[in-house]
Amino acid sequence: MRSLFHLLALLKPYWLWVLAGILLSLVTMVANIALMATSGWFITAMGLAGVAGAGMNYFSPAALIRACAILRTGGRYLERLVTHEATFRLLAALRRWFYDHLEPLAPGGLEAYHSGDLVARLQGDIDRLQGVITRVVTPILAGGLAAAICLVFVARYDLRLALVLAVLLALAGLGLPLLVWILGREPGRAAVESAAALRVQAIDHVQGMAELLAFSADENHRSHFLAENRRWTKAKTATASLTYLGQAGSGLLANLALWSALVLTLPLTMGGGAGGGAAGGILARPDVVMLALLAMALFETVAPLPAAVLGLTDLVTSARRLFAIADLRSDSARREGLDAPTPDRCPLVLERVRFTYNSGPPILEDFSLTLEPGERLALVGSSGSGKSTLVALLVGLCMPTAGRIILAGRSARDWNPEAQRRLFAVAPQDARLFTGSLRENLTLGHPDAGEEAIARVCRTALLEDVLATLPEGLDTPIGAAGATLSGGQARRVGVARALLKPAPVVLLDEPTEGLDSAMGRELLTRVLADLEGRSLLVITHDAVDGLEFDRVVEIGGRE
Amino acid sequence: MSHPTLTPAAFLKSRRPLAGGLFPATVLIATCNGALLIPQAWLVASIAEAALFRDVPLEALWPRFWGLLALFLLRAVLTWTGERVAFAMAQRVGTAARAELLDHARALGPVALAGERVGALATSLVEGVEALEGYFARFLPAMITTVLIPLAVLVAVLPLDWISALVLAVTAPLIPFFMILIGKGAERLNQRQWARLTRMGARFLDAIQGLTTLKLFNASRREAETVSRMAEAYRRDTMSVLRVAFLSSLVLEFLATVSIALIAVFIGFRLFWGEMAFHRGLFILLLAPEFYLPLRNLGIHYHARMDAIGAADGMIRLLNRSPASRPAQGAPYQANTPVGLSFEEVTVTYDNGVKGLTGATFTVSPGEHVALAGPSGAGKSTLVNLLLRFVDPSAGRVLADGFPLDGLSVEDWRRSLAWVPQRPHLFQGSIADAIRLGSPDASLNLVEEAARQANAHGFIRALPEGYDQPIGEGGNRLSGGQVRRLALARAFLRDAPLLLLDEPTASLDGESEAAVLDALGRLTVGRTVLTIAHRPETLRAADRVVWLEGGRVVEGSGRRPLSGITDPREAESQKGGVA
Repeated sequence: MRSLFHLLALLKPYWLWVLAGILLSLVTMVANIALMATSGWFITAMGLAGVAGAGMNYFSPAALIRACAILRTGGRYLERLVTHEATFRLLAALRRWFYDHLEPLAPGGLEAYHSGDLVARLQGDIDRLQGVITRVVTPILAGGLAAAICLVFVARYDLRLALVLAVLLALAGLGLPLLVWILGREPGRAAVESAAALRVQAIDHVQGMAELLAFSADENHRSHFLAENRRWTKAKTATASLTYLGQAGSGLLANLALWSALVLTLPLTMGGGAGGGAAGGILARPDVVMLALLAMALFETVAPLPAAVLGLTDLVTSARRLFAIADLRSDSARREGLDAPTPDRCPLVLERVRFTYNSGPPILEDFSLTLEPGERLALVGSSGSGKSTLVALLVGLCMPTAGRIILAGRSARDWNPEAQRRLFAVAPQDARLFTGSLRENLTLGHPDAGEEAIARVCRTALLEDVLATLPEGLDTPIGAAGATLSGGQARRVGVARALLKPAPVVLLDEPTEGLDSAMGRELLTRVLADLEGRSLLVITHDAVDGLEFDRVVEIGGRE
Repeated sequence: MSHPTLTPAAFLKSRRPLAGGLFPATVLIATCNGALLIPQAWLVASIAEAALFRDVPLEALWPRFWGLLALFLLRAVLTWTGERVAFAMAQRVGTAARAELLDHARALGPVALAGERVGALATSLVEGVEALEGYFARFLPAMITTVLIPLAVLVAVLPLDWISALVLAVTAPLIPFFMILIGKGAERLNQRQWARLTRMGARFLDAIQGLTTLKLFNASRREAETVSRMAEAYRRDTMSVLRVAFLSSLVLEFLATVSIALIAVFIGFRLFWGEMAFHRGLFILLLAPEFYLPLRNLGIHYHARMDAIGAADGMIRLLNRSPASRPAQGAPYQANTPVGLSFEEVTVTYDNGVKGLTGATFTVSPGEHVALAGPSGAGKSTLVNLLLRFVDPSAGRVLADGFPLDGLSVEDWRRSLAWVPQRPHLFQGSIADAIRLGSPDASLNLVEEAARQANAHGFIRALPEGYDQPIGEGGNRLSGGQVRRLALARAFLRDAPLLLLDEPTASLDGESEAAVLDALGRLTVGRTVLTIAHRPETLRAADRVVWLEGGRVVEGSGRRPLSGITDPREAESQKGGVA
């Protein structure tokens, strides 16, 4: 329920749209009911007048019927436009809102979540919220109001009928939805979760297909996928079955309303002759048909409620999944701190830095290092010696457990994270490429880089031969996450991308991985020659002897 | 199964047989439910007429009231059953479609799929098929009733009042006519919207998987703008689809309302002039809305069809890509002894025309450990893809123990090899599951033994949940070296006579590198090994080095080790000479 209120709070900026939608919906419903009731009255009155050979004023009811018909058709159209416009504005804003909450959490805060699951939240779960206005808020408020207005109208003719109708309406509008809600909560939640799990399985299956096939594990994974699909189907079938029960039940109650109206009001007309329009009993004869048709039409106001309530379960589950991420807090979520312009020279000092991950064994212990502006330093050591952690510490993706990191004379803790990252041009070990052209990937850190600058980093990172093979050169799409490139090519694109970013310190984490030794050395030689006074920190486990580093530091091979 | 030039609508129709007996069942229930409307309206009209025009006392009307009640109940049960049957039909079709798409993607193989966006495929498999289900659960039943109910109503009305029947008969075709007119435009819009949804999913997956990289380049805030922009564009597209859809239902409602009003006026005046019995008039008037109701519902469910059409597009595109033709059943193959390989003038051309190998010729003796070296793009990965059977030669042939590889059962062949890829994918599951990938029934003891050999046991034991530690995609929390060692453990456990390695010691520290080389030394005994190699240590560990360049073997094609390439450093300089 808390999630629901939380969600309704997000509707605030759209309250005018929502209110307009409710009013339009109300007008539409009342017009529709009035149309049915008036038509019934009109036919009967005309028939009775015909039998009696009497005259009657058929102009006013005909005008009323016309007015109701226009209101009903036009109102319905406008209502749908308004409520859907509000809905899709809300969804667009929610996607941005969710991404804004997600972004500061990476990478530390999101380890527990599969990216497929996060995308399912950003896409599917937000999409599932689209019912909040059209299927929950509007039908409940407008339907309730319309039903109340009509009941007051009926009560003026026959209080007993009004009471019976109120009971039937309550059953259709509250009883059925409640039943559906209670029974549907569990399968509803299961369905949403299964959908997300299925997405994860689908992504695993496609992304890991090479290994599934190579290890003959494809059949196995396929059966897992289909088992998840069966679970989803089962949950969806359970909720759908309830929805249909709600529909059939509310249709039955509407018919019962017609039935009760006839049973209750017909005796009230008895006694007068067939000839008299309003003569005879307590109730005029045309009014009987009017009330009977009104009673039946009245249930259109509550017909959408069982589905609304079921949708509510889905809605709350999805909302909860969104808030679960949005409410996460992370160390790296700090936004404050110094937002200084990027200095040209940026000395780095690490003093007795210690880093442990979640109170595990220390990954870095008592680690000190300095990097002068313009200095070219190679940090040589085996993996597991915390080299990659060092990159994360420098760029502020995590904080040292003890010790100090000083960047351009200021403690890393004082830097605004974005300003801190502007200091570094990084080629991380697990550099990811994005779907798009080679150019888009290269200019990630420098969107307005000129042709000359791009050509230059391509030369430095030994990409010229790669470029020569690409049909459209820089503008060639490189496949999903760079899949059309080999491991060594992707690595070099990562290096070029870093070099293109204008930052005083260049950080390359294992830049020669996946390259043969000769090419690795050639790459480093070119990088060293093309720094233009920027500092360079290369982390590698390859030998760097004979290269023009100013300094080579070995770090411990102990894990 | 391939679907040459299938339109989305034809694709939807082609799925119908998958529903089996559920489709006729849906039709039957809908027919009964629609037909019962007629006696229901007749009873209501006769009750009103008897009481209001003939002063029949209520007591005499009770049988009709009970009959009416029974009809109401019966129709409620039929409605509920009908919807459930339709839903079951949709689920059956959906499950079949998911399996078909998954199998087709698998048949295409990882090399052909490399250009596809994973997010888009996942959207097709999950949301896309769900849209397909919507078509079968909602649109198809609505379409059936749209045909049946108006027909039944017309048949009931015609003998009683030809004027009303004429109004119904004239207006009814107008409605689908307008709807088709408007729907055509909407369909195009909707396909565009679905394409945007798919693109959006792919883009979001890309952004989320690369969030750390985006962040390093301070591009993650810029990405927020992209998210906004895509979400905004999606909203505009959705609304333009909906505006058209709403317009079509406006037209429909307007036509329906006008014709009901016309019928009411004609009936009203004939009643007034005494030309028609009230009973008939009310009966026709009660049925008239039921005549248009299915059409209205069809309008409501029309978007289910449009969604399905949009989603079908992506599926057809995938299904239209035909996998490389392969003999359905290859010869059975089981290798208990090391495999001997022979590549004879092998050329591989990828779909996009790029040549992976051009006439590569060399042999690998059983039990030999061969390193594949050469600049990137030389064809090393293509050789491995060839052996994994992800690609087939476009010319030349590969022989395994003298049998042409493409004549062997792919399944059997793959069972005889183990592979350590460059970027191992770790599936959702536990560490033990990850190691068990190729041998799902292996005992925990065997898993631990494999991990020990891969030098992974130590760090796994140190994890909070040990072998049960859940790992997500990419093995979050595991270092690059640890992920590699898991992949090695997987290969150890697989215990296959042919081993394919992709620079196995990359990103291992000196200590575990030595341990892995040592373990590899033990493992390679009695097995044939092919290693993609860049590092001197890896080259040194091999019996022989095969140099590739531009898709050809430039050195080391023979059986015996080349003289002078015993030292890899020297080998490098030789290669430099060739380049």
